Amino acid sequence: MIAGMGVLRGLMITMRRGLLTFHRDWRAGKALHRRGGGALLVDLFRTPSKGSEPTVVQDHLTDGLFTVEYPDERLPLHERFRVLPVLIYDDHDGHVRCTCCHICAKVCPPQCIWMSQAKSPRGTVVPLPEDFYIDMDVCMNCGLCAEYCPFDAIKMDSNFELANYERHQTHVFDLQDLLVSAEYYAKTHPEAWSSAEETTKRQKLEKKKEHRLQKAIAAAETSTP
Amino acid sequence: MTTDTITRPEWSTIIDPVLQKELEQYVLVTNWDKLLGMVDTVYNWGRRSSLWPLGFGLACCAIEMICTASSRFDIARFGAEVFRGSPRQADVMIVSGTVTKTMMPTIARLYDQMPEPKYVISMGACASGGGPFKEGYNVVSGIDKFIPVDVYVPGCPPTPQALLNGLIMLQKKIDGEKLDIPIIGREGHTAWYRGDIDRDVPIPILGPDLVDLRTVELTAERTAQGLIEAREASLPKPLKIPAPQPEPEHSPEGESTSGRPSKIELLRARARGEQPAASPDEPAAKPVKKLKHAQARPSLAWLGDQGLVELAARLDSHLGTETARIIQAALLIPADRLAAVALYLRDANPIRYDYLVSLQSVHYEDCIEIEYHLDSTTNPGALIELRVRVAEPDGEGEAPSLVGVYPGADFQEREIHDMMGVRFTGHPNLTRILMWEGYAYHPLRKDFLEPYYEGPTKVLPSRVDAGKGRHFRAEELNPHGTNFKAPRDFADWAKLSSHDDPKAHGLIPAGVELTELSTDQFVLSMGPQHPSTHGVFRLNLRIDGETIVGLRPVMGYMHRNHEKIGERNTYLMNFPFTDRLDYLTSMGNNFGYALAVEQLLGDDAKPPERAEYIRVIMAELTRIASHMWSIGFLLNDLGAFFTPALYAIEERELILDLFEWAAGSRMMCNYFRFGGVAFDLPPGWIERCRGIVNDRIDKRVDELDRYLSENEILLDRAKGVGLLSREQAIAYSTSGPVLRGSGVAYDIRRAAPYGIYDRFEFKIPTGSNGDVYDRYHVRLEEMRESARILRQAVRDIPDGPILHGKKNYHVKVPTGEAYSRVENPKGELGFYVVSDGSSSPYRYHVRSPSFINLTALESMCLGHTVADVVGILGSLDIVLGEVDR
Repeated sequence: MIAGMGVLRGLMITMRRGLLTFHRDWRAGKALHRRGGGALLVDLFRTPSKGSEPTVVQDHLTDGLFTVEYPDERLPLHERFRVLPVLIYDDHDGHVRCTCCHICAKVCPPQCIWMSQAKSPRGTVVPLPEDFYIDMDVCMNCGLCAEYCPFDAIKMDSNFELANYERHQTHVFDLQDLLVSAEYYAKTHPEAWSSAEETTKRQKLEKKKEHRLQKAIAAAETSTP
Repeated sequence: MTTDTITRPEWSTIIDPVLQKELEQYVLVTNWDKLLGMVDTVYNWGRRSSLWPLGFGLACCAIEMICTASSRFDIARFGAEVFRGSPRQADVMIVSGTVTKTMMPTIARLYDQMPEPKYVISMGACASGGGPFKEGYNVVSGIDKFIPVDVYVPGCPPTPQALLNGLIMLQKKIDGEKLDIPIIGREGHTAWYRGDIDRDVPIPILGPDLVDLRTVELTAERTAQGLIEAREASLPKPLKIPAPQPEPEHSPEGESTSGRPSKIELLRARARGEQPAASPDEPAAKPVKKLKHAQARPSLAWLGDQGLVELAARLDSHLGTETARIIQAALLIPADRLAAVALYLRDANPIRYDYLVSLQSVHYEDCIEIEYHLDSTTNPGALIELRVRVAEPDGEGEAPSLVGVYPGADFQEREIHDMMGVRFTGHPNLTRILMWEGYAYHPLRKDFLEPYYEGPTKVLPSRVDAGKGRHFRAEELNPHGTNFKAPRDFADWAKLSSHDDPKAHGLIPAGVELTELSTDQFVLSMGPQHPSTHGVFRLNLRIDGETIVGLRPVMGYMHRNHEKIGERNTYLMNFPFTDRLDYLTSMGNNFGYALAVEQLLGDDAKPPERAEYIRVIMAELTRIASHMWSIGFLLNDLGAFFTPALYAIEERELILDLFEWAAGSRMMCNYFRFGGVAFDLPPGWIERCRGIVNDRIDKRVDELDRYLSENEILLDRAKGVGLLSREQAIAYSTSGPVLRGSGVAYDIRRAAPYGIYDRFEFKIPTGSNGDVYDRYHVRLEEMRESARILRQAVRDIPDGPILHGKKNYHVKVPTGEAYSRVENPKGELGFYVVSDGSSSPYRYHVRSPSFINLTALESMCLGHTVADVVGILGSLDIVLGEVDR
């Protein structure tokens, strides 16, 4: 082989790739658009509003990769994608699902979950967390807490845009920071929400709540007259 | 109140105050501050649009940082693509990953060398606050303890998009800055423009622990008061167990395991009306639960009981009686005969044990036991284990060094010396390897408690105790308020100096005298912050002109105490930690760890068919992703700046998408469980995987092959460079593509098949010369073979369950020890686990391929130039998370 041919062939490959990309874009009618879908090639002043950014799927069908122009375009958020845990409450009655059973704290590998049990005025144990802390400077986003929670109360959120300027006041999330509504969870995790497993669990929980309510009403009726 | 109108005498026009205000705002600039505000805007816009980051990566997050710079996320859109190798040209330091104490002085130095204005982004949980490794003895609890941080990017690791979000936050911060202009006395937020401000931070010192100069007096005072010891006195300590005995304690029905009657026995005795025979001396002793014993075997594929008995008899007859005693399927060798036994096994035994697989130690109650796993490259799968027991007290253990027989023992013996305090007589250079000379403790001993120690096993009591009702940071538990511990009698505070370099103590290469030229030799320290060392790795080179005449790797800059933390974790908790070993191959690490514990669990955790297929698919996808990365960055090291790497990252990104879809994270998959995998594949996953595997990967590997393999520059730089002969490769215990590049067809998937690898057809590519090019080519071919395995796996994958039994977070592991071996992309990854029947492993050791492959580095580099060292190191494909653990 002639010396230098290997280098030249390599250069041809890079050139071929460059031309091919352009050719492909042209044929798909996307050469003058942003690949992920903005109207113009350069649309500096028209950015999509938060939450409505186009999602860019890339796989073997789209012939690989092209630049995803975050923050105006985004990669799809897969449902299992996990960042930090959140606690779920039911919208219609504000019921916090967590019963403070400590299982998440027990499986948490870096031990970043701290919680304390709520007590009734009489001092008896109430199946609710009094307070609940997650130290996000320690959390390793492993998702074991959500995986082993028997009450579907702790779930992994997929919001990754958490950058901030300060950590000592803000990086320990307490109960108020952690709570999100079931509606939000249903929106971010539609597949898991509609899965048979979670549906039956929810129904069971509803029954339990109903049962507890009836019991409380009955108790109130017998004690008041 | 009347509205006063403002009259401008020179115009003598009455202006409406509202209009006046608007005019002032938009047209008439009436005060200096507003005028300068416009300058601020332009100036800040310029600064924030050309932030040049320091090309500086620490750990897992650095990989995501590199991906952010790659074509998919393209940090160039923010004007930040120019990653500078030198701090003197950089504006922003992205602290990406775990900050260790060993690395901290270097980081502080880099920060001091950056010119103003300088910004710091703390990327990931580790850099922000210590992260999951916070409890470790070598981890700094947040970079902000030492240098000021501007933006925190939480996540573990933050995805490239999250990092871009952090960058946008930093740009916003810069946008809002009011400039200081000392000449006119204007004060703003940019103190560095004032002459009197010095923002340099003092360099912390590696003394008995990491000493912060700003608080050294207080530290000395508190240490002298013995506050640490006082705190530790009140804490429960880890229990030590006795070393394994010849006969496993078979416990027939009704007999307890430890001589003490069990609870059930006591109850039964009481029911019969007898007085329980418990000795009154120890009423506090908890009745021991009946422990299950795992089948005694060193690994899944090994010599076998019969063969071991014969081998022991042979050793006894050749080397004198009582040379070998069989203890739990391993041979106990007296320390003084170890060298003779090793020589016999290597040179005279019918099965030549020429390959030292792994070397580790366990701290037992009565001894420190050192285990040697040996295998034969000519007769693979005949693994045996040798045990050597040395004295238990700190610093008294002494064993003969095997470096003469197996040169691959070099670093592993140094590691045991560092971590357990055992001395190896005859070792050529017995210095500390992961911690630094002068560090006061041997951290893997059971009696060493870390500065943030809370209890022997997780769950730590403060987390679940009811009523505490508040969150403690680990710092609050330590009397020093930081991750610091020094012995009470330490007195040499005044001698500590920032100029010392205890990490490199004893690691200045001696070198060879070249006689033909009388030139001066000098020592060059390359790293730990160097773009070509693939992480925080350091090489001390002795060079004569450009020629390497001596080389000593210096490591431990990423030592984040994986094993110590692993011994406190429950078995399940170790999964996400294994992800962070070799963070490019988390699925493979998961696989290895799952196999180790499944070996102990036996038939209680046999993965169902579908899970086995999923495991293979994930492991092979990982191999392709890792080899792609490795080839891309090898070419980077050889000077083909970034194009091959970008092409390679493209395929890796598509595979990472698959991982994220199935397991929830691009890099830290945490996907395997004992007896299966965590989740089933989501709908549509297997179709996309088929598409990528069948239609894409082969084409891309071919393209890479055509693009690179015959490139004359690559051939020139790689052929005949970094030669490692077949014999050397075996002797140095190298594994993976490095071993196969030297022509040894030793692949764990064939040598000791695990999972369902025996069902797939694939070749084991080997090289012939053992140079950089061969290692590159073996990786290329291996990707083709992986694609072949993948095509078979995605074709045959059955439906069915994905986990043996129910999901269970409390795994009851029978007592015993296990060593699992998987063929990870980097080489043989092994997990050595000793179980004492409790919820966490008694000993947890990782046989890390990157670490052991480095043993061969010196002999490969001698005689070459500095530029070649970079290529040779690239061809070894090390990942510092695994080298230092």
